[in-house]
Amino acid sequence: MNEKDLKFYGIYAKRLTEIEQILFTEIRSMLDSVSTDPETALAEHLKTRIKDSDSLREKLRRFDLPETAQAGLNHLSDIVGARIITHFVGDIYTVLDMIEKSDKWQLVVTKDYIASPKPNGYRSLHTLLRMPFGCGGISTIDVEIQLRTIAQDCWASLEHQLKYKKTIHNTNLIVSELKRCADEMASTDLSMQTIRDLIRNT
Amino acid sequence: MKILYAEDERQLSVAVTEILKMEGFEVTSVYDGAQALNAVRNDYFDAVVLDIMMPVMDGIEVLQKMREEGNYTSVLMLTAKATVNDRITGLSSGADDYLSKPFAMKELVARLNSMIRRNTGYRHSIIKAANIELDTNSCELKSDKGSLRLNNTEAELLAFFIKNPDAFHTASEINIQVWRGKESPEKAQLYAFYLKNKLRQIHSDLNIIIEQDAYALKEETI
Repeated sequence: MNEKDLKFYGIYAKRLTEIEQILFTEIRSMLDSVSTDPETALAEHLKTRIKDSDSLREKLRRFDLPETAQAGLNHLSDIVGARIITHFVGDIYTVLDMIEKSDKWQLVVTKDYIASPKPNGYRSLHTLLRMPFGCGGISTIDVEIQLRTIAQDCWASLEHQLKYKKTIHNTNLIVSELKRCADEMASTDLSMQTIRDLIRNT
Repeated sequence: MKILYAEDERQLSVAVTEILKMEGFEVTSVYDGAQALNAVRNDYFDAVVLDIMMPVMDGIEVLQKMREEGNYTSVLMLTAKATVNDRITGLSSGADDYLSKPFAMKELVARLNSMIRRNTGYRHSIIKAANIELDTNSCELKSDKGSLRLNNTEAELLAFFIKNPDAFHTASEINIQVWRGKESPEKAQLYAFYLKNKLRQIHSDLNIIIEQDAYALKEETI
């Protein structure tokens, strides 16, 4: 955490770092229990983060909440988050299954935007977990895990750039082209999954 | 080539069937409209010859049912009365060609061959230019050094460029000439950029050249 975020999170800063660490270690060991060989690894990439204070303030403002760490911890669920990037669609559900079995947290809710993509083409699986917090009068914290394939991640980062660019030429065309790319990538993701299943089962 | 021939006049049917077989067609002969419909539902044909005047179900009805059911096999209608109205009804119901009775056998064979040629030409159309080739059916783009799969819209644009080599077209001309104005100049521009990158990826000797907001497919001079 940088100076600015340390100051914003105050008494919660240390505990938040610990939560992030637990999340990372637990998921890392789950993934490694299946394979540590990069070729057959479940995840291509695992990243955890604590939301930086600027974007947290912005989000609190949008929700009409006081711009404090406490309000964030009480009302928002993505202050601590993890992203797991897999090669194949099927691996997402294998990882989800392991997450559901862990005793480090309780499951709150899972939103499967792969089974039901958002209208713009966004595909990911989000799962919300509740972990014991016990700091500054706050007993639990909700953390969000996002699971997606490399193709879905690439798409999401491009779409994110569009969202934050205020003035863009031909927005409608770009939006519909992005949607087409999302659908084509989803189709290719499934073809690759099918081929892998064929190779594994023969 | 498989032909379905629906004709209720037995003598004519036997004669025509014989001649078509001699010409190398594989012929299935049926004698009324219901049999014809049944045959197209259960078998594949390269072309269908339908007499208009038939018992049980006439040729027009068979044709309309086929099109309703999504069967777009080429159909040649045989019209006995040879009235203009008959021909118009046939063509507007989805027939590809017609012939008035009595007809010359040679003309029937020529028309069938022409219909089938048009079809297969469309189905397996591979366009080549320089070191690239485009399969307009599968949208696969190949060079001697690589290949990739385009989408339909990109393939239509590339086919247009290949057919009009070296000619510069503006984005709005492309929108009108390639997509009958159904897309937009902005989309034409974006798709020209897509093609530029994709052609470069497969080391095509031809590439999209952009000059003053106009686009052409040209040999790239370094």
